[in-house]
Amino acid sequence: MKIYSRLKRVLEKGHFAVTAECGPPKGADPKVIRSKGKILKGFVDSVNVTDNQTGVVRLSSLAACVLLKKEGLDPVLQMTTRDRNRIALQSDILGAAALGIRNVLCLSGDHQSFGNQPQAKGVFDIDSVQLIHIFRQMRDTGVILGGDKLSVPPDVFIGAVANPFADPFDFRVVRLGKKTTAGAEFIQTQCIYNLKRFDEWMKKVRDLGLHKKVYILGGITPLKSARMAEYMSNNVAGMDVPDEMIRRMKSVPAGEQRKEGLKIAAETIQALKDIEGVHGIHIMAIEWEEAVPQLVETAGLLPRP
Amino acid sequence: MITAERKPLPEIKEMIAPYRKVLLVGCGSCVAECASGGEKEVGLLASALRIDAKMHGHIIDIKEITLDRQCVYEFIDQLTGIAGQFDAILSLGCGAGVQALADTFPGIIILPALNTTFIGQTKDAGLWIENCRACGDCKLSYFAAVCPITRCAKGLFNGPCGGSQNGKCEVDADVPCAWQLIIERLEKTGRLELLQNIYQPVDWSRQLGKGPRKIHREDQSA
Amino acid sequence: MGLDAMTQNKNELNIVVFFCEQLDLNQDKNRRVLEKELGTSIKFFPLPCSGRIEPLHLMRAIEAGADKVFLITCPEGACRYREGNLRAEKRLAFTQGLIEEIGLEKKRLELIRSKGGAEMTIHERVKEILKREENVNTSPLKLQ
Repeated sequence: MKIYSRLKRVLEKGHFAVTAECGPPKGADPKVIRSKGKILKGFVDSVNVTDNQTGVVRLSSLAACVLLKKEGLDPVLQMTTRDRNRIALQSDILGAAALGIRNVLCLSGDHQSFGNQPQAKGVFDIDSVQLIHIFRQMRDTGVILGGDKLSVPPDVFIGAVANPFADPFDFRVVRLGKKTTAGAEFIQTQCIYNLKRFDEWMKKVRDLGLHKKVYILGGITPLKSARMAEYMSNNVAGMDVPDEMIRRMKSVPAGEQRKEGLKIAAETIQALKDIEGVHGIHIMAIEWEEAVPQLVETAGLLPRP
Repeated sequence: MITAERKPLPEIKEMIAPYRKVLLVGCGSCVAECASGGEKEVGLLASALRIDAKMHGHIIDIKEITLDRQCVYEFIDQLTGIAGQFDAILSLGCGAGVQALADTFPGIIILPALNTTFIGQTKDAGLWIENCRACGDCKLSYFAAVCPITRCAKGLFNGPCGGSQNGKCEVDADVPCAWQLIIERLEKTGRLELLQNIYQPVDWSRQLGKGPRKIHREDQSA
Repeated sequence: MGLDAMTQNKNELNIVVFFCEQLDLNQDKNRRVLEKELGTSIKFFPLPCSGRIEPLHLMRAIEAGADKVFLITCPEGACRYREGNLRAEKRLAFTQGLIEEIGLEKKRLELIRSKGGAEMTIHERVKEILKREENVNTSPLKLQ
């Protein structure tokens, strides 16, 4: 029985896709992944598993993807270039494909100085653009970097990330174009709070015709509290949380802030549905996976195709 | 030039503790430029060590000499006949200098007083910044003379990453984003189209290939 | 130990004074007043500008047995060479860091920024400084 990428099918059929994110535990505990999978099943098309996010050691993305696969979900394997060289990365994608994982997201990764292993050597043998290109060649041409032939190419739907809110603003779309040329087939963006700025970015995307070449999923992270909004605004690089949003969260009593955060998220999703060139959403509710089902439902995105 | 910084005094004291006669050898090149191992610094360190010895009742005989360069055999040769009079040599040269001395005088104990840090430029009085990692395959022509390996924390060749904000690197608010700089410079010099290229993975074997690197030029040999 | 105590125990404390010549154009004559009173306990080193001080001078003074080293600069903004007294301050601070690394108190090196206003001779200045100087431990160097 052939295994296919559910995400790819949903997008190719023209549906508004929904993906979510699952953070692995800081331990050799399969139960956590399984229970998160159970929460998300049926509410999303695919589930990303982060790869030692912010340089903090966690259960590996590849292993977690296999666990999710066993629960009947369609996982997206996130791979950074921070921790592995080209030998390991090419090897891992062959392994992932052999284990039935059909989606991969290529990133450079957060710098190791942020995590709990700041003395580690950040590998960065190749960057995310080169990684996309290598995987595309492996799949479509059946060769690895250097030209050696693969007995069986890896069957994977290849994705990348985009951050419309980082600098330099004008260049962000050029970089998206580069990733697309390198072979990216879907894009998940950084979480969106500043719709105006996102709109401007999408206009530039459309001007270059990129929305026709790559599927773009807008990132959504529901705010849990006003403090979270402030923290993200001040401490996370490449994040744009407008002051009005922080004020809106603060205007609500602490006990009601989660509800307000979900309300904002649902409003953002509605707005994204109306932007030409946005093909879906990617919900990153880290350590709040329980919020995903109700958010998807409120946004009118059920049932999934 | 190569930059270095003096090791903390407790560390240096521990290194020379077993020895009675120590020669401090400075270098008049890179380490003099970055004020860590030149003649002045040799004088300062010698003075500090002598004062410290007197304070603790240690007997130590410290002499000072500074070579023009500590990494070239012709200059090191000045120490022939002198080096053997000491129990140990405390070198204020960079790692290249310390090892060059030890190669020339393998029977003498050579100790490093400095921590060699990086290849860089003197940006301003008292300010040195790393700008080269000696990768052996210089591509500065593509990146408007801003080295992505050295100045981008992730060494991206197709940057910037998503953490670049207000022209600063996500790693440290004081570190400029190299890619922002590359883009600005390419724009200033009318070469923005270079950014459309997808740059291929670096050939790291030219830097980290098979152990220590070597250059041999027949035309230069005696 | 104040000046009176010093004159009583001439061999107790060694003082070194680096100072800017611009503070007293007759310093050559005037400093001899204190040199006579205190003998070998005090040494004066005039500088064409306090900015000419080198950390090495300060270190060598201590190495030679100084218990306390003063560096007297012109008032803020009044340096004849503009930044000399600012440089002097930085170099003294650097040397303080160095002597702290070998366990000496940084107060053994002291910067005196002259106040603007009345002209004083060098020996009047130093007398005033020594009067207000609290007890400084005898330098460990003397134990050898």
